[in-house]
Amino acid sequence: MGVRYEYTVETEDLAKYYKMGTFTVKALDGVNLKIRRGEYVSIMGPSGSGKTTLFNMIGGLDRPTRGKVYIDEVDISKLDAYELAWLRARKIGYIFQTFNLIPVLTALENVMLPMIFAGVPREERIRKAKYLLELVGLGDRINHKPNELSGGQQQRVAIARALANDPAIVLADEPTANLDLHTGLDIINLLRKLNREKGVTIVTATHDLKMIDVSDRIIYLRDGKIERVES
Amino acid sequence: MSKGTWEIGEVSFPLSEAIKISIENIKKRFTRALITALSVTLGIAFMVTLLLMAAIQEQQGKEGAAAYLYWLLFISLMVCGVGITNSMLIAVAERYKEIGTYKTLGALDRHILQLFLLESIVIGGLGGLTGYIGGLIAALAYAAINDAVNAAFIALSSPFSGLAYLGAIPTAFSLFILALTVAMALSLIATLYPAYYAARLNPVEALRYEV
Repeated sequence: MGVRYEYTVETEDLAKYYKMGTFTVKALDGVNLKIRRGEYVSIMGPSGSGKTTLFNMIGGLDRPTRGKVYIDEVDISKLDAYELAWLRARKIGYIFQTFNLIPVLTALENVMLPMIFAGVPREERIRKAKYLLELVGLGDRINHKPNELSGGQQQRVAIARALANDPAIVLADEPTANLDLHTGLDIINLLRKLNREKGVTIVTATHDLKMIDVSDRIIYLRDGKIERVES
Repeated sequence: MSKGTWEIGEVSFPLSEAIKISIENIKKRFTRALITALSVTLGIAFMVTLLLMAAIQEQQGKEGAAAYLYWLLFISLMVCGVGITNSMLIAVAERYKEIGTYKTLGALDRHILQLFLLESIVIGGLGGLTGYIGGLIAALAYAAINDAVNAAFIALSSPFSGLAYLGAIPTAFSLFILALTVAMALSLIATLYPAYYAARLNPVEALRYEV
């Protein structure tokens, strides 16, 4: 796989301000963060604390007002639209609260989609997607469309999709918020297993206390600043 | 190109994949696609009827269609185009979250543009085909009824009218090409703005949107 980077994510004095009429909302205000390869980090904080904004910055979806974000030691604020698209396809895997599968595609096709953007040959896409769906326990559901799957199954497809291009980091924004207690726990255990056995670096935003137990580190965010860090 | 320590490669989205997804999108929302296509059908049917009738009449040695009818045709095609724009804007609004998701997975703006434009071409083609068939039937029916009426009232008025239909066959063929071309071009042009709007959506805002 080439070079191994010690830190998958690094932020330096990261800030994002939004102008709301005459006053400025400081969604993020000077966040310094380092996430090691293979770590499982949870970001906790009430709504409006800046969790999602932080995710959008790390994921290359939004540009900071100030400061820097490094993914595998590259400053992504310097990338143009084309390079950001490549970064999102190859370096970042996203898992959403609402699963966000493409409704017209089957589970297999959903998992193959990021590999299409990454230019992976068709045979390899099919092989890898099947392997990943088996890994998340959906080997017998590969030709089902999202509306034929339960919430937990859809989230498993989303996890398989996030892993499709072996990203440097998987960002999971409240992945259990739309699932019942039991299913949520299954998803957390699956993420933990992938982290332990496959060395996938995972950052989750959550209020879910079950998530805390499995994390290597917990970062508490409040008013756009890091309040404290627990190991 | 190299940035810092790793290489940035290609982002791809083959046309075959885009076509497949566009067709799936149409199948998923088939009723709405059909209604959109129907507006194309009506516009194209009017065009084919008008031009074919004019051709048949000219073959019979009569005058072609009046100039104001061509204006009417132009206006009706415009109305049809505005209907398509409206319908595609709704389709975009419905799929905000999906567009945001495509972007997080690595889609470029032009890939989103491509998806919506392909969809509009398929819908336009569908409308063009049905519109051609509808227009052809309408024109022939009109001409046949007209002849029958004439024959009943004025004996021997048009003994060779069958030849007029035969003479219009080349026009009918070229109208087929014209109908498809106009329908697809109209649909494509009408979808430019909605597709451009969709492509330019900021992924953060697109993902936040709740339908």
